[in-house]
Amino acid sequence: MEYPKNHKEIVEDLMAGKFILPSAKHFESLRESEAFYAEFFKESFSYTLTVTNDYAYVVSPETQETLSRDISIFFAIVCYEMDRDGRNFLDQIQYSEFEMEDIDRMFENSSFIDLILSNKQLKDQDARRTLLNAMNRRHIIEKITEDRFTFTSAYKVFIEFAIELAKSRSKEVEPSDN
Amino acid sequence: MIKAEPVSILRFLATYYDIIRELYNIQNKEGIIRHEELTEICGRHEHDVHQQLKDYKILRSVNADFELRDVYYKLIEFILYEFKPMLPETFEKYLMSMSELFRKIKEGTHGDKMILSERIINLQTQIREFLDGVEKNTVRLLHETRELKANVDKVDYRVKVHKASFWIQYYIIPLNQVLNVNYSDSVANKLLDISDFANQRRLNFDEEGIRIQFEKLYNQLIQTNDDLLRQSKILTNELLPLIERIRTESMILTGWIEFLRNPYKVTTPKLLKSNRSAAYNKNLFFHTKEFFEQFMEDEEVFIEEDPQIYEQWIFNKANVKAKLKEQVPVQDFFSWCRNELMMEFKEVDAEKFFAMCTLLFEEDIEKEFSEKGTKVKIKTHHSRMTVPKIKILN
Repeated sequence: MEYPKNHKEIVEDLMAGKFILPSAKHFESLRESEAFYAEFFKESFSYTLTVTNDYAYVVSPETQETLSRDISIFFAIVCYEMDRDGRNFLDQIQYSEFEMEDIDRMFENSSFIDLILSNKQLKDQDARRTLLNAMNRRHIIEKITEDRFTFTSAYKVFIEFAIELAKSRSKEVEPSDN
Repeated sequence: MIKAEPVSILRFLATYYDIIRELYNIQNKEGIIRHEELTEICGRHEHDVHQQLKDYKILRSVNADFELRDVYYKLIEFILYEFKPMLPETFEKYLMSMSELFRKIKEGTHGDKMILSERIINLQTQIREFLDGVEKNTVRLLHETRELKANVDKVDYRVKVHKASFWIQYYIIPLNQVLNVNYSDSVANKLLDISDFANQRRLNFDEEGIRIQFEKLYNQLIQTNDDLLRQSKILTNELLPLIERIRTESMILTGWIEFLRNPYKVTTPKLLKSNRSAAYNKNLFFHTKEFFEQFMEDEEVFIEEDPQIYEQWIFNKANVKAKLKEQVPVQDFFSWCRNELMMEFKEVDAEKFFAMCTLLFEEDIEKEFSEKGTKVKIKTHHSRMTVPKIKILN
């Protein structure tokens, strides 16, 4: 049987919980054979494949909830603190490089300090570096040096989550508003 | 009729601008200027200008109160560059009046030249007013959007989303439609028709006076078209993306704040739970590192001793050996061991069984192995064993 191009890389990355991004050479192969891989992962592991213009990844029925929650809190605080500083956080996430020092400052001066201190992955600098290492492995950020990184287009998964949450909550608050 | 000289009115406006400005602000806010407010303002500025305001027809009486006449209101509005946004529905009146005038101009080209000329002049006025209205709206919308972006009023993100959506839905998108030439019912499209017609008539109309008027109309429309294009570009390239981003960003922040209120009660995006890696996996180093990093900081751990006391069994070889010697010859040593254990402990524990097996290595015990290689099955508490049949002779 002939497999799609870059099959090994595609399977290896997705099985490791990584996002495959448009900059990766195997992204196009995956897109071209999306139907094949959707079936392949469904039949082989009961995983669901999601492919968009910005990323591709698989999820299992059993998920890594703690990591996802920690990353969501990380994004929430970074967005909130940047906006409080008067920065266009969406532009910054899309186009800017971040320094760990900058991130540490945001977390240390955040009004959500109680939440931060109670979270094992966010409570201090070392914990945050560990979380960022996990995000780097999953291709949610890309490390440029040990202390600098950029967000990849996988950030959209979490931003979409926030938008959906806002929409669902506003529906709950204003059921008659259309 | 105004008795005063025009220059006196202008001088009055300049001299008492502060009063006029305050009156403008009140009308802007409340829609009317109350008598008491007018008296208070004049008193504060130490100038009783009630009479001039009436004589120069700057104020109009509304029962016991007042309002600025439209022409002065618009003058101050223009000077301050503070325009009230017009609902796009308001622009439709221009579409109606322009369409009607245009229809009558087309139909009346062979009729009375006087009325034709008047209609062309009126059409030009309508076009000018329409363009003014569009420009004012764009200015105001830009101002509102920038205010919203800077969030000078410190409004909640939810309110920002609502405001941004409101401006987009009721002002920006409909205004964009008014300016869109590709939209058949747009004012811009109607102006294009008029422009085509004026272009033809400025060249081929019989009477020179009307020809010149069509020429002016045509030139005005060329300029208007450029201006509308500029306004349309501001709307689509600057205003709409800016306000869309305000809406998106505010929506994201609303979501995040909602999430941060109780992050442990919301289902977050699903991420794949990766499996344990094999020792030769190229990522093992990082996975192991990540695993150990979790325990970098030791937490204090208390271990309570298990209070349950286990019975400790010590194999008394001499005793068991004596028992075996009493029973020789024993046909099957392993079965004997099993039976002994069953009799004493009601179960065959592997550890005890193996301890008893060590008797086979005693030198003074004479053994005989089955020549046929007969095997015996022994079942202990946790296992099944197949052992050779060994006879103990002495």
